[in-house]
Amino acid sequence: MTRMSADLVVIGGGVTGAGVARDAAMRGFRTILVERADIAQGTSGRFHGLLHSGARYVVADPRSAMECAEESAILRRIQAEAIEDTGGYFVQFAGDDPDYADRWVESARAIGLPFEEIDVAELLRREPRVNPSAQRAMHVADGSVDGWRLAWGAVDSAKAYGAKVLSYLEVCGIEVTDGQASAVRCRDRRTDAEVVIDTGFVINAAGPWAGRIAALAGCGEVEVVPGRGVMLAVGHRLVHSTVNRLAVPGDGDLIVPAHTVSIIGTTDVRADDPDQLWIPRVEVQQMLDAGERLVPGFRQARIVHAWAGARPLVKDARASGTDTRHLSRGMVILDHASRDGVRGLLTVIGGKLTTYRLMAKGLVDLMCEQLGDPRPCTTDTEPVPGSESGHTHQVSQRLRDRENDRLTEQLLCECELVTRRMFTDALHENPDASLDDLRRQLRLGMGSCQGGFCSTRAAAVACAEGERSAAEASDALRLFLSNRWLGLWPILQGDQLRQAVLDNWIISGTLDAEHLPVASSGSRR
Amino acid sequence: MKRIVVIGGGLAGLVAATKLAGGGSSVTLVSEGLGGLQLSQGTIDVYGYNPGRVRAPMAAVAGAPAVHPYARIGTSAVRDGVAFLQDALGTGWLVGDPEVNLQLPTALGVLRPTALVPPSMAAGQAQAGQRWAIVGFRQLKDFGAELVAGNLARAELSRGGRIEARPIVLDLPPRSGESDASGLVYARAFDDPAFRERVVAALRPLLDGETAVGFPAVLGLTDPEAWTALRDALGVPVFEIPLPPPGIPGMRLGRRLTAVAKQRGVRFLAGSRAIGHEADGLRLTGVVVGTAATPRRLRADDVVYAPGGFESGAITVDSRWGIRERLFGLPLAGLDDIDRLITDEYWDDPQSVFSVGVGVDAAMRPVRSDGSVVYENLFAIGGILAGACRWREKSGEGIALGSAMAACRAIEAG
Repeated sequence: MTRMSADLVVIGGGVTGAGVARDAAMRGFRTILVERADIAQGTSGRFHGLLHSGARYVVADPRSAMECAEESAILRRIQAEAIEDTGGYFVQFAGDDPDYADRWVESARAIGLPFEEIDVAELLRREPRVNPSAQRAMHVADGSVDGWRLAWGAVDSAKAYGAKVLSYLEVCGIEVTDGQASAVRCRDRRTDAEVVIDTGFVINAAGPWAGRIAALAGCGEVEVVPGRGVMLAVGHRLVHSTVNRLAVPGDGDLIVPAHTVSIIGTTDVRADDPDQLWIPRVEVQQMLDAGERLVPGFRQARIVHAWAGARPLVKDARASGTDTRHLSRGMVILDHASRDGVRGLLTVIGGKLTTYRLMAKGLVDLMCEQLGDPRPCTTDTEPVPGSESGHTHQVSQRLRDRENDRLTEQLLCECELVTRRMFTDALHENPDASLDDLRRQLRLGMGSCQGGFCSTRAAAVACAEGERSAAEASDALRLFLSNRWLGLWPILQGDQLRQAVLDNWIISGTLDAEHLPVASSGSRR
Repeated sequence: MKRIVVIGGGLAGLVAATKLAGGGSSVTLVSEGLGGLQLSQGTIDVYGYNPGRVRAPMAAVAGAPAVHPYARIGTSAVRDGVAFLQDALGTGWLVGDPEVNLQLPTALGVLRPTALVPPSMAAGQAQAGQRWAIVGFRQLKDFGAELVAGNLARAELSRGGRIEARPIVLDLPPRSGESDASGLVYARAFDDPAFRERVVAALRPLLDGETAVGFPAVLGLTDPEAWTALRDALGVPVFEIPLPPPGIPGMRLGRRLTAVAKQRGVRFLAGSRAIGHEADGLRLTGVVVGTAATPRRLRADDVVYAPGGFESGAITVDSRWGIRERLFGLPLAGLDDIDRLITDEYWDDPQSVFSVGVGVDAAMRPVRSDGSVVYENLFAIGGILAGACRWREKSGEGIALGSAMAACRAIEAG
């Protein structure tokens, strides 16, 4: 057993948890973040990639709209590297309620949200694939954000301020001593080792899993219902900017250009278990129809992947315990001192990725208040490591980099322009990472071939670098391919099915990978 | 003289065209692309897994289930097809025996069953007690010698025992200053004696009495002596291990077969997509080809259809999961609810969709589910046939050759 101690233990390595860890570490608290899987492997990495300008909430929730506007501007300063400044359009199409557009304009003006109405002809000049039935178009400051980069930026910053960030550590108990949270017991999912962290404060940011965590401290009836959202990625950029329907927000009404792909999202269906998120074909069809309305011909585009994320929705039996004074909208904080008589434990559920920094600030402010130890928040002024230049991400960035190193570097993944050096650097830095963990950092295997060519190269390089035995590399390859398949089988059709057949030819036909010796004992990656 | 149009430039189409032209027919081969051999590992797989490892492929062909194309093709057509191919290619192109499977290493280090191989692969037949060096090149990313050797070393041979294998990685670009070279670039370099000498000079001091040396299958594209020259200079048996595409051994076969077909009078209409057909009742009378300038009508007494399956786009799946044969709108066999055709399980069972294709009679004529023939003079062969998951089974070339022979027999008898 390993024993550690901290002022604060943050449970959950999504953006919220990462943001809390960063905020607390910057205020000088000794902080440890524990995450059951990889950083941002859950909800924070399974969304559509929209950095909200606030325009989406202008009519229904003007305060949220302004929070988004302010926070997205802050993130462009402090986490530029995670953001592509695409801009966006809100477009009223034929059949959409014209009154809604009027209400939207009125409300946007009232709260001072920046926007510019442009001619439909100008919209179609800038975005030629958008449905020409467009009636009105508003240009807004939407962006595209990489949830993994966002979370990793906060994690790297937290680490720079002394925080420990421990992934693949599953919380299996929260000790409460005399009504005060006093320790968090964890199990290392790779080694099975037990880790106990003595602490004075715990912030539960486990998202859809938060109810289970709260129950470990004896705080019952925190019911979190996962709202499943299905998203599809098209293998190229259909639009240069985000395109939203200027209508009451609904399913599948936006397309976000993200890195080399375009993402349409999303459905919203209640699920039973955040670990068992299905991608029903009926929802795939629903998204294809939705895409067709925004960009005619969408059904003929190449859908390369699908995924489902779980929005945490709270059904708290004791809503009186909710305290939202400090907080961003759309989120709930449970103060377990007043709610359950457990001091030093806060649970946060919900909220928006765009306002994660503000949520983190609110949580740490509340912790400071409860500890009687006020310390100011400084997360809004200092860029995270990697974003110091203030330059936002550009989709052409990797192409430019490869132009420069094309004579010296080998490309492992042609689709996403991942070099051998990028892969080996990430591997040496994260020697325990799975190929999927590295994928989330590098985008390896996320392009058109979905790993058909690059996965075996990556496994071979991991072996060549001495980081994996042949058995471990083979197991890693098998796991990577079956994980890729989870987001492929529900959407396979058209060119992507053709690709899957070619991949089958390579992986099964030529390489006979299904007859690799399996499950070597002692392999943990 | 019969006018025959063959659609498709892969193994099945090339073999059928060569056979029919050799029999005196006037044959035009229409191909949209370069044909599947460009992507192929260059082995002749007859039956590798069914689903257990197959030792005697022809016995497995004889026992193939009723839905399998082999049940219609039959063993004699497969044997004839293999024999015809060996004969057409000439000596020195393929070794092995359709009755017995070899076990040869893949570029992941798996021992893969196959029936006939280019002689350059033959020394890779795994036998207990062998000591192999597996040679990779730092600049060739599709062949990780460490992974191949590591997996070979931990493989338990089907007849017991093990192989010793160790990796050697040469830092030797095929062209000076090239850090990321494809197998094709290496293959061209190996055609050059000077490059081979550099390889030998770098490798010889590193060898330590191994019984054989395995290389990625890039030992020459056009020079059939490239690998023997390397073997002789190293003084040790050498074998090639196929890579993911581009498939150099497949390309060699494709080039050779194309040359033979041309010698026998096959006319090639390359870069041309078949876009339509003309029929008179139950008989096709012609094929419409989208050549560069204008659609062109080719008259045909018989049409051999060898376009491949989903991988080539001959069978398509639309965004509502409607599955269709592109050119003739042929009825498809093996269709089912999409939830049963494509499932979430990656490794256990092959995806049933890969087995969807055209059902045929014993003459390889596409048939409807009631067994009635679609066109009396249309013959479907190769990867478009229903009932086999070719890559999982390692049966693609056997099906291509056997179905080509069965179709040729019917055409020549008719």
